[in-house]
Parts: sequence; structure tokens; C-alpha cells
Amino acid sequence: MRGVRTVLFLMFGLALSVAAPALAQQSTLEKINATGVLTIGTRTASPPFAFVNKQNEWVGFSIDLVEQAVKPAIERKLGKPIKVEKKESTPPTRIPLLTANAVDLIAGTMTDTRARRESVDFSLTFFVTGAQFLVKRTSAIKGIESIAGRRVAAQQGSTNAKIIRERVPTARLQEFPDQPAAFQALSQGQVDAYTNDGIQLYGLRAKAPRPNDWKVVGDFFSYEPYGMAMRKNDSDFRHAVNVGLMEAIESGKYFELYDKWFGPNGEAPYPLTPENRRFLIMQVVPK
Amino acid sequence: MRYEFKWSVLWSGQSGSWLLQGLVTTLAISGLAWLLAVALGIVSGALRTVPWKPLRAVATFYVEFFRNVPLLVWMFFWYFGVPPLLPQVAREWLFDHAAEFWAAMCALGVYHGARMSEVIRSGIQSIPRTQFEAAVAMGLTTFQVYRLVIVPIALRLIVPPATSESLNLLKNSSVALTISVAELTFQTRQIETYTARAIEALTAGTVIYLVLCVGIATVMARVERHFAIPGLITRGG
Repeated sequence: MRGVRTVLFLMFGLALSVAAPALAQQSTLEKINATGVLTIGTRTASPPFAFVNKQNEWVGFSIDLVEQAVKPAIERKLGKPIKVEKKESTPPTRIPLLTANAVDLIAGTMTDTRARRESVDFSLTFFVTGAQFLVKRTSAIKGIESIAGRRVAAQQGSTNAKIIRERVPTARLQEFPDQPAAFQALSQGQVDAYTNDGIQLYGLRAKAPRPNDWKVVGDFFSYEPYGMAMRKNDSDFRHAVNVGLMEAIESGKYFELYDKWFGPNGEAPYPLTPENRRFLIMQVVPK
Repeated sequence: MRYEFKWSVLWSGQSGSWLLQGLVTTLAISGLAWLLAVALGIVSGALRTVPWKPLRAVATFYVEFFRNVPLLVWMFFWYFGVPPLLPQVAREWLFDHAAEFWAAMCALGVYHGARMSEVIRSGIQSIPRTQFEAAVAMGLTTFQVYRLVIVPIALRLIVPPATSESLNLLKNSSVALTISVAELTFQTRQIETYTARAIEALTAGTVIYLVLCVGIATVMARVERHFAIPGLITRGG
């Protein structure tokens, strides 16, 4: 079913990209200036980054960053107010949507990688996480060093599965197409651990019926820096986005939003480590 | 931005061995499930026609219950629903020995058994009642009539629809990827993940399924010809 959807999207993307060249000459800032709209591609079920909440509002940390950091910077650059429009984009569709001009910026949970940089450009890193394991509270698994011979669930297509296959070939990897099935297998004992980006595991744990039955363990065994993606070779737009993010970090706005979503009372409590705070601040270049 | 095909992803790196592993898993799961489906289908198809109501009711219940629930639900049922019913030791043993494979095999076999049953029943009911009566008149018991006369004829009559059903079973084995069985469709998606080449990977999967199914259909056509009862089955041409 997902396969069919992927094919449809690809065909859709291909059709659009054939029609697109005329528009492609225009820079993203020119496009936003002409339409007055910044279109972002984001997620509907990746709390707390971007999701539809109980009040049926499309919210999240990534969305707040766009609306409160990126949007003001672009408005200042263009000298006029703009609107932000949101569209759903999933891992298989986000790059085609971007290259086909259907969206201008991907703001969700996209990891910045070298392979992806061959097709899109990324903003500064706005969140840092890494793969960990979710296990039962009583489990003996402590991290990637103790999973040899154990049954480990992962999400199909994730970088985590790839790394486990390379680093611990004796682990018995079981890949599920979606998070709920993997979590179900973990809670029934079909698998001993479930691996995903740490922050996603904290989100899952927070939403579980009895959060205290679960724990997230292990050092990060992968590095997942989240960035906002945009079309390649559009440095003016990329600079505007980065200025917005830098100013938010500098003014403390970023940390305010971080606290709102990841603080003790947030959607998924995930304390900001001192290293990550330093890393974020050091990305801010002088005025 | 034209899409540039890069077919070499299918034989470079691990793609080839992944496809091969996927193919082996698909064949293993489909083969075992097919045996289960045929066995269940013959028994329940025959039971649906016997002259004793309680047996007919049991078979009817099996068929209607299992074929009227989506296969995806059965996959989850056998993988998530059944193990908690087992004793602790059996459950642990199963989880350690590819539980997802056996769950998918049961789901496919039992589901297609119900559908196969209907194919076999229609075969049995297309045999004139006089055959049954003649066999009884020869002094055979009901069981013997079924084993020696009715079922052997019915199985020859239903080769074409049973072939169709078997091909469906083979293709439906792809649903097993939802419970983490690394079969052929799973592996094509794996290639897509590693290479970002969706169209090439899906094409490879398509071609393999196609070759497999056409191959089976050809063999079954020969089987049909070989076992045809002269005078009973008229061939066109």
C-alpha cells in the first residue's frame, strides 16, 4: 500500500518536474515575494516536531521555529508580511516535493546527511539527536554493545537499521514499516529492544499507556542532526533561513521554544545537554 | 530535472543477494502456506458438501470467517494475537525461532485455505449427483466415495481457478512485510532505502513476481492437460 503511494507520488513528482523548468528560473525569495506565501513541507504525526494535536491544530517545535524565527527574517528581507502554508511531506516524498517547487522548505524531522546534500541544501542544525534503544524497565540491554544475538526492532528504511546491520551483524534485526507495529512487538516480547532516534523514543514512551514500564538506554550510536531542507543553489534564501535561526538562538527564543516542547512540562521531556547547547550557540556566526 | 535511470544499482553492492534472499523467503513462505491452504481447502471444501449438517456448518463457519476478514488483519492476528495465548516456554521458543515467518505462513495458509475451499466445493458440486449415488450403490462408504471418486474428479476440474488462487497466494505473501518478514517486496524497499532508486527497485520486484507467476501458470497448464479425464473435460481447439 505504501509502495503504491510511493509510485503515485513519484509519478506525480515526475509530471511536476517536467512542468517545472519555467518556474525553476525564479529564486525562492522571488517566488515568496510574488505570492506572499512561504510553503513548508512538514509532518502530521511526528510529535513533538510536527503533529496534529487533540484540538486538531497542526503544531510542533519545527513549525514554531518556522513561524517565530524563519518567517520574521524573511519578512524583514522582503520588507512585507508573508503567510506560512503547511503541506504534508513524508520521507519518500519530501525531496520530490521540494525539487518540483510544491514546497519551499522542509521543516520536520529530516536528518542532514552528505548523501541528501547531493540533492538538496540544508539550513543550520536545529536539533541534535541520535539512535538509542527503547526497552522494558527490567531489561539487561544497555546499548549497542549488548544487543549481539538479541532481537531488535527498527523502522524500515531508517539509518539506525543500516548501522546495526554493519556494526552488530549478529543482532537479529526485524524491520517494521511503522512505529506502532514495532512498539506492539516490543511490548509483547517478540523483540527485546526497539531502536530509533532518541527523541522519537522519548515521544513514544511519553505516549505509552504506562511510561514507567519503559526506558530509553544507550549512548547515541548514530548522529542525527536535523536541518531544514531547501532547493539546491539558492544561497539568498538559505541565508535568510539561517539568519532567522541564528537570531532565535542568540535572542533565547529558540530555548524558550525548546522548553515549551521538550521541557519538563512539554510534549516529550528531553533535557538539552550542555554539549548540544554549546553546539547550537557556536553555529551562530557574528553579525 | 529528468529522472535518470541507473539500473546498475540492482547488481552492484548487496542488492543482488538481497533480492535472492527475498525470493527464497517468498518461495518458502508461499510453498508452505500453499500446502496448508490445499489441505484445509480439500477437507473443508469436501465437508461443505457432505450429507450431514453439523459438519457442513463447521466448514461453512471456517470459510466465511476466514475469507471475509482482510489478510492484513490476519497477519496481525497470528503475529500479535496468538502468542499471548501460548504458555510462556512455547512463546519464548517461538520468538527465538522466526515467529514472524510462522505467523505469516499460518495467516496466508488459513486465509487462502478458506478461499481454496470454495474453489473445491464448486468443483465437487459440478459433479452430477448420480456419480455419488452410483458409488454408494457399489457399496462404498461416504468417506470412500469422497476419497476415491468425488475428490479426485473435482481436483481435476478445478485446476484453472485453483491456479489463479495459488498465484494470488504467492503475491499476497508480500503482506508479510508488515510483520517484519524480509520477503521479496521488503527487499525491493530495502534497495530503495539504500540507493534512493525507487523505480529501479520496484521494477526488479515486478519482473521477479511476473516471471514466477507466469512460470507457475505454465506448469499448471501442463498439469491440467496431463490429468484431464478424456470425455469429461472438453478442450477448446
